[in-house]
Amino acid sequence: MTDRSSTNTGKFDPITLEVLWTRLISIVDEAAAALVRTSFSTVVRESHDFSCVITDASGRSLVQATDSIPSFIGTLPRTIQHFLNEIPADKLEPGDILATNDIWQGTGHLPDISVGKPLFVDGKLVGFAGSTAHAPDIGGKIRSPEPREVFEEGLQIPIMKIIRAGEPDEGFFNILRKNVRAPDEVVGDLWAQITALELMEDRVGTLMREYKIFDLADLATEIQARTEQAMRAAIRDLPDGTYSNQVKTDGLGVPLELKVKLTIDGDEVHADYEGSSPQVDRAINCAYCYTYAMTAYAVKCAAAPDLPNNDGAIAPIKVDVPDGSIINPRWPASGGSRALTGHFVPTLVYGALAQVVPERVTAGTGSPLWSITQSGVREDGRSFASLFFFNGGMGATNLKDGEHCLSWPSNISSTPTEVIEQLAPMRIHRRVFRPDSGGAGRHRGGLGQEVVIENLSKTPTAVSFLAERTKEPAPGIVGGADGATGEVLIDGEAVDPKRQYVIDPGTIVTLRTPGGGGYGDPAERDGAAAEKDVVQGLVGGARDAAEQPARAIPASGAGGGALSRPRPGDVEHGGDRQQADQEDHLAVVRPQRLEPEVRRAQPNNKQQ
Amino acid sequence: MAGTHALGIDIGGTFTDIIIFDQSTGAVHKAKELTTHDDPARGVITGVHNALNGVVPPTEIYRTVHATTLFTNALIERKGAVTGLITTEGFRDALEIGRERKYELYDVHIAKPTPLAPRNLRLEAPERMDPNGMALKPLDEAKLLESVGALAEDGVESLAVVFLHAYANPAHERAAVAAIQAKFPDISLSASHEVAPEIREYERTSTTVINAYFKPLAEGYIDRLATEIGGLGVEAPFFMMLSNGGLTHVDEAKRTPVQLLESGPAAGALVGAYFGGLAGEANILAFDMGGTTAKLALVEDGEPHVTYSFEAAREKRFIEGSGLPVNISTIELIEIGAGGGSIAHVDALGLLKVGPESSGSQPGPACYGQGGTDVTVTDADLLLGYLNADYFAGGSMQIDLDAAQSAAQALADDLGLSATDVAWGIHDVVNENMASAARVHIAEQGKDPRDFTLLATGGAGPVHAFYVARKLGLKRIMCPVAAGVASALGLLIAPARVDRVTTVASRLDAMDWPALEEKFAALEEESAGVVTETGLDASTAEITRLADMRYVGQGFELVVPLPPGPYDAASESALLGAFEEAYKRSFSRLPPDVTAEIINIRVSVRAQVPGPGLTFQAGGGGAAEPKATRKVYFPENGDYVETPVYDRAALPAGEGLSGPAIVEESESTLVVGPNSTIRVDEGGNIIVDLLEASE
Repeated sequence: MTDRSSTNTGKFDPITLEVLWTRLISIVDEAAAALVRTSFSTVVRESHDFSCVITDASGRSLVQATDSIPSFIGTLPRTIQHFLNEIPADKLEPGDILATNDIWQGTGHLPDISVGKPLFVDGKLVGFAGSTAHAPDIGGKIRSPEPREVFEEGLQIPIMKIIRAGEPDEGFFNILRKNVRAPDEVVGDLWAQITALELMEDRVGTLMREYKIFDLADLATEIQARTEQAMRAAIRDLPDGTYSNQVKTDGLGVPLELKVKLTIDGDEVHADYEGSSPQVDRAINCAYCYTYAMTAYAVKCAAAPDLPNNDGAIAPIKVDVPDGSIINPRWPASGGSRALTGHFVPTLVYGALAQVVPERVTAGTGSPLWSITQSGVREDGRSFASLFFFNGGMGATNLKDGEHCLSWPSNISSTPTEVIEQLAPMRIHRRVFRPDSGGAGRHRGGLGQEVVIENLSKTPTAVSFLAERTKEPAPGIVGGADGATGEVLIDGEAVDPKRQYVIDPGTIVTLRTPGGGGYGDPAERDGAAAEKDVVQGLVGGARDAAEQPARAIPASGAGGGALSRPRPGDVEHGGDRQQADQEDHLAVVRPQRLEPEVRRAQPNNKQQ
Repeated sequence: MAGTHALGIDIGGTFTDIIIFDQSTGAVHKAKELTTHDDPARGVITGVHNALNGVVPPTEIYRTVHATTLFTNALIERKGAVTGLITTEGFRDALEIGRERKYELYDVHIAKPTPLAPRNLRLEAPERMDPNGMALKPLDEAKLLESVGALAEDGVESLAVVFLHAYANPAHERAAVAAIQAKFPDISLSASHEVAPEIREYERTSTTVINAYFKPLAEGYIDRLATEIGGLGVEAPFFMMLSNGGLTHVDEAKRTPVQLLESGPAAGALVGAYFGGLAGEANILAFDMGGTTAKLALVEDGEPHVTYSFEAAREKRFIEGSGLPVNISTIELIEIGAGGGSIAHVDALGLLKVGPESSGSQPGPACYGQGGTDVTVTDADLLLGYLNADYFAGGSMQIDLDAAQSAAQALADDLGLSATDVAWGIHDVVNENMASAARVHIAEQGKDPRDFTLLATGGAGPVHAFYVARKLGLKRIMCPVAAGVASALGLLIAPARVDRVTTVASRLDAMDWPALEEKFAALEEESAGVVTETGLDASTAEITRLADMRYVGQGFELVVPLPPGPYDAASESALLGAFEEAYKRSFSRLPPDVTAEIINIRVSVRAQVPGPGLTFQAGGGGAAEPKATRKVYFPENGDYVETPVYDRAALPAGEGLSGPAIVEESESTLVVGPNSTIRVDEGGNIIVDLLEASE
């Protein structure tokens, strides 16, 4: 990557630049507002799972919408660069809209559709408007970690012009509609993205006319160079050295390992993930683009949280991952649930930084985000599919306790209980904090939550989960204790959350999201704070459960407090009572007792 | 109606403004007192006494209207009642779990807002409704009272009761309130079905808990103030201003005081709509810029934009998502950290930034000569010649021009620019901040900024209006009379207003039409009752039906004005048509063939308070001669030019002037750049038309 740290075009004074920059940010924010208002799916509108960006003519980011999630901030400019690699500038014309959802060139999983529009001024390509949004559906299997190859995960859109000089490619839209479960919503959301691109194009044109700028290149260089200089200065404040760290994830029966050697060398950061587990034939592989985005996010939070986002902020960050790694898989790996692996990356990087600048990071967080996907056929014959998110507790920092139930590193809202019950045949019986789930420390980790869900569907219903840290807790730092592990139970029995289950009416699914890790020695905790925890029932509430011997498989839903940790080498896992090596485990599809329902459920998966 | 005078009382964080308006002559009597925080009524009584000034007999007052920011301040300072919460069993943490989203991506030390009811004061009661309002489990009153007893022992003074799906069926909440009232008569009660009967438990709980937090405070305060004013001999009815820009009677205000949260700012926006209407401008961007913040409000077709949810007491003042959600109807205001006191500085990227930090009143801008060394917006405006050092705050304040100059020079040296460049840069950057906020907000409404006229109020509003308008591509600026007391004036023109909401949550094609009509009728009857209690004739009230509608599958709703009722099955196409029209207005195109649904229905009832309108006359009868000239910087000239300075009070109506010009009055200064015309209309407003900038 070019080092622009010494570049200064001298064409913009600090005032004009500030005004133009503010204007550009308001343009992407305006586009984001339009996207939120015109999209259909709750994923965009309530969960804010999207981003908008303006790049220069080579796809390097200038500004990103304030309301973007960290992964897309990192991936979207790269996607624009892939557009350019596949369809060079001389093949682009005004009115084109490019799109892809390719795992490697996009965001790491198929539901995220990225679109880009080349911006022309007087016939010259000056930049791109881009947007990524999570589509309500993309076909394939209902999202779970089960797919073994990307082909099982739904429709793949290669980089292509879905609109050519203003003319929509009807063939593309027909194929898209035919391949997804909710065609109106999916196409509606795609049009909302296109509306956002058009708005950015219009506003950028106005700005350039008003300020008599005929090319964005100088402005881009100036913005990126100043940001890069500031980022490099911030990195120089971090002590030089190489800091190693490793974390485990629950993985698939046997844990996956992620390893990093993080080198701070003057004004550059180099993350080398050599030694991390190899890719698997389950959809928890995390494509390089996502690994990069998560690394950049972690470094930026620690080094320069207040810097604006653009290519300059990521330029000093280098990320190497061996091919075929779980965090840089080769085609045709599946990646639908990549967050189950990718969300560990910031924690991994923080753990390395905690060795030298613990005050700039958090202890481990009870992420990745959790979700339950439920699908089936209603009594009236209509099919339904719903996806709801729940979060764990944040890690504590040197300044404060971790927040309870907060989305991190992603930024996905949860859906209100009352809305869930309106939308889906579910009844939520409880949704409360999990006492004692926050890791002890001078500052306590944030609490996870317990959600108890009854299936009301009178027909068999398929459920799958995004759930991690059910075996590997969020680590404490600087002497703080780990957070509690999470649990997924079906009718009180712990199950393997990486699988899909078919459940009967009245079945109770319990999700217990993990707590965050603590910061500092628990003995140093302020007395008043400790007492408040007890008064508020955040600590001590599950003392009885915690005093029982730790068991990997609780006999009932009452088990599992903060002290419930798996023993090393304990590869048994929930409802699946087979002792399985990894190979066998990957081949096993569902626990025995659910076998009959599974067969009945087959047609459901093919519902339109 | 005995008299011809209306009395407005506006209690702000710093000042209590009293305004008495004589409808028969247009005369205004004003008083400004420091707000007496220990006992706000005291400042009011002094102010009213001073405004009456022995000239206006108290019996001449036929109406008293009150707005206050005291509740907002009590919330920010956490000075409300010890508040508890009773929820459905299994849901006591809904208030603290919230929506689980970070309002700031990169801050590792992020803090969610602290709940007003701490976890130990949140207890549960066994009961359950389903989303259709069917009782699944009866309310266990014994267990409920046990919980309340525990809370009472912990000193809870005010209690919120929020059960799941109470918007669909409030029976259990009602039963709980009755049972608690009987056993614990001293505890103040707020039930969610009365305060915010809308789906989404976090927002409803938050709103109800805020209401409970204020309720004991409001009950004592409102009664005392009304009594004290009566004690001055004022016999007129006493009304409270609501956040939605309407009035209500004292009992309604005490029942749901959360509705009073934004009453002060709402009055300001009403003024914008009112003066815009008098001048024949239907679409207004009201722009009120003061010492620390600027506020923006949209007025469309003469109506201030009303929103049905907002955030109070933000953890990070200007960051969305960091506050406590409040689901009440309120005039929509965008607050930006941009005011006269906003401090300019150079950031880590070497760029000139302005605000949101403010110098406040101590030490204040450098030019106040109180030891401030940071250069502020006011200092820049002074150096540019926009403000007059010899006529600052009407000449009542001594100004240190040298201090402003050296503060600007210091920043200029850091940036390698001239002091003039920096002064203009500060003006330009703060304008861009405000224009950007306006642009994004207007985009959120799906509107085009160029359709709006900028109405400038506040001390700094008229100083910055011209170049903000230029940035937004607006064609016209209005500067109303008495801009300095605008907010209090708004109290005197407000109608009585009642907004009610309930959740329906049904697809249009599966609607139970008789049930829908019954719900609308019930809301209308309830609203009309409040209007009647306000002492007005409900039969003359204007009733609007609205619905929060969306296409099935969408996550948020559009508030849609509906045709008048009553409705039956034949109304489906009319309601769908109203939704499609509103949808197209916001988003320009309709989505593919999808069914629409109604989530909430709303009724808004407004009744004008009888009495003559509020009219002003153009001030001066003299000729439009400048009182002086001075050197003023305009970017079009790239330099200071000798510019005429007019005294606003002397400007006659109708006279046409052209920019550049400065128009001074005691509370503010209107800056008009080149390529523009200036005139005073019959109502005394200054109208500036911006011409296409000639190059």
